[in-house]
Amino acid sequence: MSKGFLGTAAPLYADLTLLLEMAMSVGLLVGAALARLGRFRAHAWCQASIVLLNLVMIGFTMLPSFHRLILPKLPSTIGKPYYALSTVHGGLGIVAEIGGLYILLAAGTNLLPEKFRIRRYKFWMRSVLLFWWTVLLLGMATYTRWYVNLR
Amino acid sequence: MRRSVSIAVLTTTLLFGAGTITGPKNVLASAQQKPETTDVKIDNFSFGPATLTVPVGTTVTWTNRDDIPHTVVSTDGVFKSKVLDTDEKFSFTFSKAGTYPYFCSIHPKMTGKVVVQ
Repeated sequence: MSKGFLGTAAPLYADLTLLLEMAMSVGLLVGAALARLGRFRAHAWCQASIVLLNLVMIGFTMLPSFHRLILPKLPSTIGKPYYALSTVHGGLGIVAEIGGLYILLAAGTNLLPEKFRIRRYKFWMRSVLLFWWTVLLLGMATYTRWYVNLR
Repeated sequence: MRRSVSIAVLTTTLLFGAGTITGPKNVLASAQQKPETTDVKIDNFSFGPATLTVPVGTTVTWTNRDDIPHTVVSTDGVFKSKVLDTDEKFSFTFSKAGTYPYFCSIHPKMTGKVVVQ
């Protein structure tokens, strides 16, 4: 397994995941700014790309890690901070991703039946953005707990 | 009859004698074959000692004294622990001479080596 490059004890994939997630979260803010500027097509492309890229990241790095390190220890070790933090981050992360995908389907396609479409776009988009950033901060805390020597 | 008794006495003497001679040898042999045990402590994101030299047949036990999970994985695939939480242990008996590098698969910067002579 390759060593990371951020100077912590993390492997390469964890360092890359952290940096990419931070960049993607900043990218969502840029996308939100595009919407405020009235550039809705660019906004749609930006947010859709990030939500779909995040889905790939979840599938290829975070879910396998969770399955290998956390899942076998649950639920008996949920009281330990590093397992609790990872589990909360994972759970809320899935909710944030589903929220993002739902908005993509509702706002960008006609795939959803009429009754499942959303009306208050701004409210839901801002809510998911805020939730996403909360998950990012939890992810950064998870990285710190697992890979940074705090002693 | 007297001849039979003599043979019996002789046989018994030989058997007991053999037992007396071989007995201490067996004790000595078992003392020599008693497997050694050596401990490696996992603490502060490192293995201690990082390099361990042991004779063939030694059982090495790794104990996680850190407050974060670790693993012990042989670079050559000879041994592999599960994820070790705080105070959990993993043991492996080295039956062949050689050098066995290992690392923590969660924190690949953590490396160690067991030299079996």
